[in-house]
Amino acid sequence: MLCQSCGQNQATTHIKTIINGELAEVNLCRECAQKLGYNSFFGNFGMDFDKFLGSLMGGNESRTLKSRKRCNCCGSTFEDIAKSGKVGCANCYDIFYDELLPSIQRIHGKTVHIGKLAKSAGSEVKMKSTLAKLKEELTAAIKEQEFEKAAKLRDQIKELEAKG
Amino acid sequence: MDKWYNKSGNEGDVVISTRIRFARNLKEYPFPCRLNDETKCKVAALVKDAILNGNSALASRFEYIQMPELTQEEAVSLVERHLVSPEFISDRQGRGLLLLDDESVSVMINEEDHIRIQVMHQGLDLAAAYDIADKIDTLLDERLNFAFNDKLGYLTQCPTNLGTGMRASLMLHLPGLQQSKAMNRIASTLSKLGLVLRGMYGEGSEPKGALYQLSNQVTLGISEEQAMSNLRDVALQLVAQEREARNNLTKNIEVVDAISRSYGLSRYARLMSNEECMKLLSNIRFGIATGIIDKIDFDIINRLMIETQPATLMKNVGKKLSPSERDRIRADVVRSTMLKTNIPNNRRLEN
Repeated sequence: MLCQSCGQNQATTHIKTIINGELAEVNLCRECAQKLGYNSFFGNFGMDFDKFLGSLMGGNESRTLKSRKRCNCCGSTFEDIAKSGKVGCANCYDIFYDELLPSIQRIHGKTVHIGKLAKSAGSEVKMKSTLAKLKEELTAAIKEQEFEKAAKLRDQIKELEAKG
Repeated sequence: MDKWYNKSGNEGDVVISTRIRFARNLKEYPFPCRLNDETKCKVAALVKDAILNGNSALASRFEYIQMPELTQEEAVSLVERHLVSPEFISDRQGRGLLLLDDESVSVMINEEDHIRIQVMHQGLDLAAAYDIADKIDTLLDERLNFAFNDKLGYLTQCPTNLGTGMRASLMLHLPGLQQSKAMNRIASTLSKLGLVLRGMYGEGSEPKGALYQLSNQVTLGISEEQAMSNLRDVALQLVAQEREARNNLTKNIEVVDAISRSYGLSRYARLMSNEECMKLLSNIRFGIATGIIDKIDFDIINRLMIETQPATLMKNVGKKLSPSERDRIRADVVRSTMLKTNIPNNRRLEN
């Protein structure tokens, strides 16, 4: 299928959209997709994965061995994920963590979460996040010359760090 | 209830709306792509119950919509009103939508992820929109078990949403930059900053109505606050550039003529295609912002941009219409609205 924007290259990115009141699919080549802001790191995910697998695993033997590993929750193999570009379930991220990490690094440039935590987050992460917030407040308090507040914050930080 | 898109907000001459979207999943169930319809319905029931029976002042203002029960026009109209994604209506089985009465909050159930919380506000209003999304998210977190990993943050079907799972977007009206042919340059600069700019309507190089969406691309390793602050800083620069481009363009009599003609057509035309309508409304918006057209609120144009979309037009009329019937009714809607506004005080060009 040819790209509907340039009409020249093979379409690799498929975008669902509404055209004149009807649901339609627009097919774009990689270049046009990027030009139009469909920065699909993920459109090429499958391809990259194959390459990645190929270079990492070397021979076919280890590759089949690798692809036999299945997620015990949803049944996905790593090849399923690579081909569809869809991770099957939360557990897949544990099972295939090492395999997924290079792509995650490429997509985001980072591999460790910063920001809001769910209630199920581990206590260590929760404490680290509280500490980081308190330290931020401390810096702000010192900057604003609110020394009483700063002293209190420092005590809180010390207390938390002692626990950790 | 007045809908959010009937108002205009901060930097309203350029920023039409702000959207915050969170992606969340339930720990106990595989992601929707791995669920059958029956299990999808179970997930939908859990999320619906958590919101409607949750301890929130908003709970009583939500309506639950079973997606398979909608007509095709009603479903497409949800997309035209920016309440759900095109993907969400492509296969409606097992999918549900929670919608707040003023349509500023929608919760899509079983789209790509189990839960997509979306908050829309008029103008540039990231902090307030985030605040509401955050509250709904916290409420759901109390009653459900979210898939979360200490290293990777909120777990999502697509790794591009890992981390905060937050996508913040601004809908921008950029006729000045579009007509100055500056969009390609800007889009490529933005991608280096972890942001993405794309056309809202149409996949061509000149999106209809000069409407664009600017959003953050990176969600892992950057906090919600930092991502929003980056987006806001870049948006304000774009706003300044857009205003400058508009001022330069309106020194050109051809541009002023196009704007004035659009205004005239909007008041007298009897047939109007969707494409022409978006072009006219975009020109009129441009004209109001630069003072070429007086005394029309942006909110009137914002509303028309949505109400004249094909499926929304049919939904409001209450029946299926052929394209030519739609063109007639669209022109009626635009004409009657524009004739209610005051006669413009056509300004002479200086110099």
